[in-house]
Amino acid sequence: MSPDLLTDASWALGMGLLGAVVFALIGLVSGTDETATVAPLTLLVVLLGVPAAGVFTFFMAGIVAKHITHAIPTALLGIPGDTMAVPMLRDAQMLRDLGVPHIALRKAISGGVIAAFISVPLAVLFAWLLSPFADQIGKAAPWIFVAAAVLIAYTSKGRLAAVLALVPFVLLIVGLQTFVSQTTGGSLSISFFLGIATGPLIADLFTALSPAGRTTLRRDSRRSFDLAPDTRTWTGRVPNPLKVLDRKQIAYTSAAAGVSSATFVFSPVAMTVLMGEVAGARIKNGYHRLTSVMSVRNGTTESTYIAETLIPLIALGLPLSPMAAGPAAPLFNAPPVYTVDAETGQTNNLHNLLSGGEFLVYGLLGVALAAIIAYPFAMTYAHRAASFVMRKVSHEAIIGAFAGLIMVICLYEGGLLAVGVALTVGLVGGLLNKVFNVHTGVQFMGFYVAVLTVPQVLALIG
Amino acid sequence: MSNLLEIWGDTVDSRHTVGAIALGIGTATPLYLGADYFFSRIADPSLAGSYALLTGLAGCLIAGFIGARLFEPKRVVTEQDSGNEGRAAAMDAIEAEYGPLGDPAELPEPVREEIRALGLYDDLRAQHERHLKEATP
Repeated sequence: MSPDLLTDASWALGMGLLGAVVFALIGLVSGTDETATVAPLTLLVVLLGVPAAGVFTFFMAGIVAKHITHAIPTALLGIPGDTMAVPMLRDAQMLRDLGVPHIALRKAISGGVIAAFISVPLAVLFAWLLSPFADQIGKAAPWIFVAAAVLIAYTSKGRLAAVLALVPFVLLIVGLQTFVSQTTGGSLSISFFLGIATGPLIADLFTALSPAGRTTLRRDSRRSFDLAPDTRTWTGRVPNPLKVLDRKQIAYTSAAAGVSSATFVFSPVAMTVLMGEVAGARIKNGYHRLTSVMSVRNGTTESTYIAETLIPLIALGLPLSPMAAGPAAPLFNAPPVYTVDAETGQTNNLHNLLSGGEFLVYGLLGVALAAIIAYPFAMTYAHRAASFVMRKVSHEAIIGAFAGLIMVICLYEGGLLAVGVALTVGLVGGLLNKVFNVHTGVQFMGFYVAVLTVPQVLALIG
Repeated sequence: MSNLLEIWGDTVDSRHTVGAIALGIGTATPLYLGADYFFSRIADPSLAGSYALLTGLAGCLIAGFIGARLFEPKRVVTEQDSGNEGRAAAMDAIEAEYGPLGDPAELPEPVREEIRALGLYDDLRAQHERHLKEATP
């Protein structure tokens, strides 16, 4: 082994462990949106100068670990761990009503772990098949971004409102970006991302400040949560996902993971619902269908998650998927370290820094680290961990930490002006989200339309 | 009158939220700015920014930790017991929305084993037999 490889491998191992531990803990806090947490922390790792192998393993271990532990609030408390968990809520609730929420949790995360191991090699394979066309796709990228933005907007809950809202939102970004570059000579991107990601929080805080808006947020009582009890259902020290699922469940979960690994432009939530329905229609027994669908659905969110990151990253280097435009955004664009040139479409990011083989090896390493750390933890300590978070970690503390995070990252990127940009984008984006259901994924695509497509359109018009 | 508001998906006390945000910004910002000033004098300029960023992030974590100690969560957590009481009612409610839960006896042995370990087998079986009786009066 050459010294370089050894260095890379140890960075990957260390950062992967860190990502798995950090995000396993974050996943326990219900409602922590994957974009709002994964994107800023990955960004931080990139900016701190961690080598590419370390960044990538950190990210992979992080998303898989968060995915495993966010099933805990979903199954035990009936509140979605984040948006990806929403499609599983109804089935999880039914199993909770039957008094067996722990089985919902165990089926879900065992399906997730199996799907993660399957989808990494498959996504690398599909990316390799797609890469001969990368140049053409790269040239057409500005137009593909518009199409993708419209498609993602239309398939969101906002429908046509989300599509039309892209126009003012893109103009807002173009305007802010132009103003920033005239004033400082540079451009911003992290502050835009952070503003979009924390938009719902910023909009809620502004609403709370206005007397009229305040009445809409007022609550008479504390929110109550019903924490389900827990029992152990396996023997031996370490649970084995292949034994938690029966044969049929393994087969359906693997098949769903395989199919969904090939798709990278569709909404992960839509794929999750679809795969769950397809598998569910083939299982006759009601109880068996409930538990099987839990594992298929969670497996599908895992595999679309991974494929949507890996395929654009390996084949194109451009963030052309809902995932890549959201949580994985810093892997593509985190100036000054990773860049996507707006005019030429030239990239300097993980796409250029890692080979297909490295993506495969470090991707699997990330999945393995997450599985080793988060899986036994979630299987064994789910109940205690959920209880601790609900009783000890106040929502106020989380909001306070995020307020600090926005300040620090924005000041780092562009001083007080950047803070203003994040606040503006957050307020507008958050309100669009709240009132018109224009979710953050649509807004991230809007950002890329503003920086990639708008200059092309202007050049065409002359 | 209560100060409870729903912000970002959970209930908070408005005064505590203001306190926590002041704490977050008040801890992280000076730490970042101080670290930026300090490291830009002693460290490589290309790394000084990164060190300052890391210090600022540590500030966020400290603020979150202090915030969690100062402001208790505004949640009521109850633990229900998964006794068999009400399970028949829960099954009826699920079947009304989801369709029949089915006969556990038709499942392969490993699945039946799992259902038995969960203590659900007899209840599912009883539910199924009740349907059979209703179907053939």
